[in-house]
Amino acid sequence: MLRHFICTLFFSWSLIVFGYGAPANLDEEQNIYAQIYNAPIKLSPTQAQVSLADIYNRKPMLLAFVFTRCTGVCSPFLLQLNETLRQISGKYLYQVVVLSFDPRDDVEAMQSLSTRLHLEKSTQWIFATTDSITALNLSLGFDPIWDSSTNQFDHEALLVGVNTQGYITKKLLGIRGDLELRQMLASINNAYIPSYRLPADNDLFSCFTYDPTTGKNIPNLGLLIIALPALVSFLLLVCIAFFSRNKAAKWTE
Amino acid sequence: MESLKLKKITALWVITILVLFLAAIVLGILMRLNQAEVINQEPLTFYTNMTTHGLTMIGIWFVAGMAAVNYLLQRYVKTSYTANLFAFILTVLGVVLLWLCTYLGKFNTGWTFLYPLPFKDLGAAPWATPLFLVALTILGLGWLVWSVSMMAKILQRYTLAQAFAWQHLSKQPKSETPPFILITMITLVGVIAALIAAVIVIVLFFAEYFSKGSFVNDALLMKNLIYFFGHTIANEMLYLGVAVIYEIFGELSGRPKWKTTWYVSLAWNSALIFILTAFFHHLYMDFVQPEGLQIIGQLASYLASLPSVAVTVFSIIVAIYGVRIQWSITNCLFFLGVIGWVIGGLGAVIDATISNNIVLHNTLWVPAHFHTYNAMGNVLFSLGFFYWFTTQHVSKLVISKLTKFALIVLIISGIGFLMAFYIGGADSIPRRYSTYPEALTTGPALARMGAYFACLYLLVILMFFYNIAKRCFAILSAPSSSVGA
Ligand code: HEM
Repeated sequence: MLRHFICTLFFSWSLIVFGYGAPANLDEEQNIYAQIYNAPIKLSPTQAQVSLADIYNRKPMLLAFVFTRCTGVCSPFLLQLNETLRQISGKYLYQVVVLSFDPRDDVEAMQSLSTRLHLEKSTQWIFATTDSITALNLSLGFDPIWDSSTNQFDHEALLVGVNTQGYITKKLLGIRGDLELRQMLASINNAYIPSYRLPADNDLFSCFTYDPTTGKNIPNLGLLIIALPALVSFLLLVCIAFFSRNKAAKWTE
Repeated sequence: MESLKLKKITALWVITILVLFLAAIVLGILMRLNQAEVINQEPLTFYTNMTTHGLTMIGIWFVAGMAAVNYLLQRYVKTSYTANLFAFILTVLGVVLLWLCTYLGKFNTGWTFLYPLPFKDLGAAPWATPLFLVALTILGLGWLVWSVSMMAKILQRYTLAQAFAWQHLSKQPKSETPPFILITMITLVGVIAALIAAVIVIVLFFAEYFSKGSFVNDALLMKNLIYFFGHTIANEMLYLGVAVIYEIFGELSGRPKWKTTWYVSLAWNSALIFILTAFFHHLYMDFVQPEGLQIIGQLASYLASLPSVAVTVFSIIVAIYGVRIQWSITNCLFFLGVIGWVIGGLGAVIDATISNNIVLHNTLWVPAHFHTYNAMGNVLFSLGFFYWFTTQHVSKLVISKLTKFALIVLIISGIGFLMAFYIGGADSIPRRYSTYPEALTTGPALARMGAYFACLYLLVILMFFYNIAKRCFAILSAPSSSVGA
């Protein structure tokens, strides 16, 4: 109970700090449906390396990027991810791989991170490191920048959805709500996710206006315009018939 | 009698159409060879070929139907030569501009130019999109003037009710409307509606282009309008060919001319209404489209096609069943074309059924069915007309052994080319892929099969081209006294 309360508090705070509800970043559109780099990863000090494909071939994967020395977004990001997944996990299969993009991190550091988050016993969460982070980052369009003045990486909280064939189906930057996570789970399970651009002020002839208070689409001018070609041509037909008959009548008079 | 000027302009249409047809087939074969991995073209080249092929094919077979109908309409009303010539000049100009857009400007959105693709950076030159819109405007203007002029000429002789053969719905009709007039009128209304949709689309595209961001279009509206235009025109062009069959199949076969009955009138009038709403079946995957429109799309797809197909097939069966008819190259092509139309139509109806569309949407099933009623349907209607037009006499249309052989090769090549599409579609291979990913193992093999059969098809068309074009040149160069005799 107490843990839930702390999590919620932490979440509310992090939403404010890290800008929940910020418009979807354009970078999220890049690398979609590309193949993720099949990096070798290390899960524990005793086990041999496996490849990312060994993981995602088994089950669709959510790949979260963090580093253990992070004093910023990494912990709230993982805590919130865990919390939201717990609330929404339904019919979809998934596993979470938390991967460090900091070459200084080793498997032990990642294991202690999992313990800190009380996820060390979870079968759905995997903490790992890789020695091929550059190639992996490149395949995702992810570019954390080292800032030596703060001894920190300047980076965004990146969550990547990968299906069992290794295709990147969705990317989310920043801490995001349950709706988007639900969509990500659907996408890594190859389900269809509908999306439609919201009408803006410069979109004069939209077919619908979305009402956020009721969640309903109200028909708009655009729908009428679809009927216009048929209406105009029937009108034209009647006019032509009228004038042609007049002309024909004059000729026969 | 058909005037000399009309005969010459029709010959000019025929030659232009056939030359462009040969070029567009070559592009089609190149696409199939690329999908087969026999040749290796850049995706940009594939998509410029695809766009040019689609636009050219739709354009030429539409004007082929219009030119044929205009020629035969002369039997009932005096049509405008000026409108015909105007359409010809604007068509040639429009096609030249389109080819410039695609080959110099690398415009490559596909023939449906779905919004917002023309505004996306797909590797085309910055001037390609505005020039493409100008080319469409020129084509649209020429065709709109031509259609309106033909419609006006019909309505000068027939009342609105007569032109639509409504009197045939009563028990004892007081006057008779030839089926050719009925179908032509029905088709012209649809063509004009489609062209008006195109005008609205062009205006909206230009508005966004020139507004520099202060106006953007609604993707759903644009998709609806583009398919209102694209789907409708692609279907109406078939009806133009069917009108020609109603007019000359009987006389060519030594049988009475086909007459309008209550069911012919009813079927074609329902086609008029439903063809204008059938395009909604292109938007089944657009979840924001109101559900009612999706249901209308499915019903309209059935009601627009099935009655008109049924009455046409019935009329043909009545014309040929149990009697010895005179088979010429023209009515053979008409007959084969109707079979292609029926099979392609069934393929379309299967795809237009919502529960099937979930599986078949944007797979090779789509080019499968529309190539069936085009390459083995409408094209054959028009080729049949071209043969008849250039000879004007049944005795000159008798089938030689070589022609018989060519027809058999045409059937075999058509079936092979189309089966490669159908099997691919049934195997969920997506359409519009320049090359197939490894997972789609059957894709390249089927594409190879399609390409080889298409080469055979091309050979037959070359033979037809030779026969028809030489007679067209004779018409064009003949002195006034000998033409039209
Ligand atoms: C033997 C002759 C032909 C060949 C080899 C051919 C080949 C092709 C190929 C390979 C495609 C692309 C298929 C895909 O989506 O993967 C295509 C598309 C198309 N074809 Fe043909 N075709 C032929 C005849 C015709 C005819 C007679 C028409 C008449 C209207 C036509 C109209 C179209 C259209 C509209 C498209 C769609 C273009 C687009 O998606 O933008 N084709 N054809």
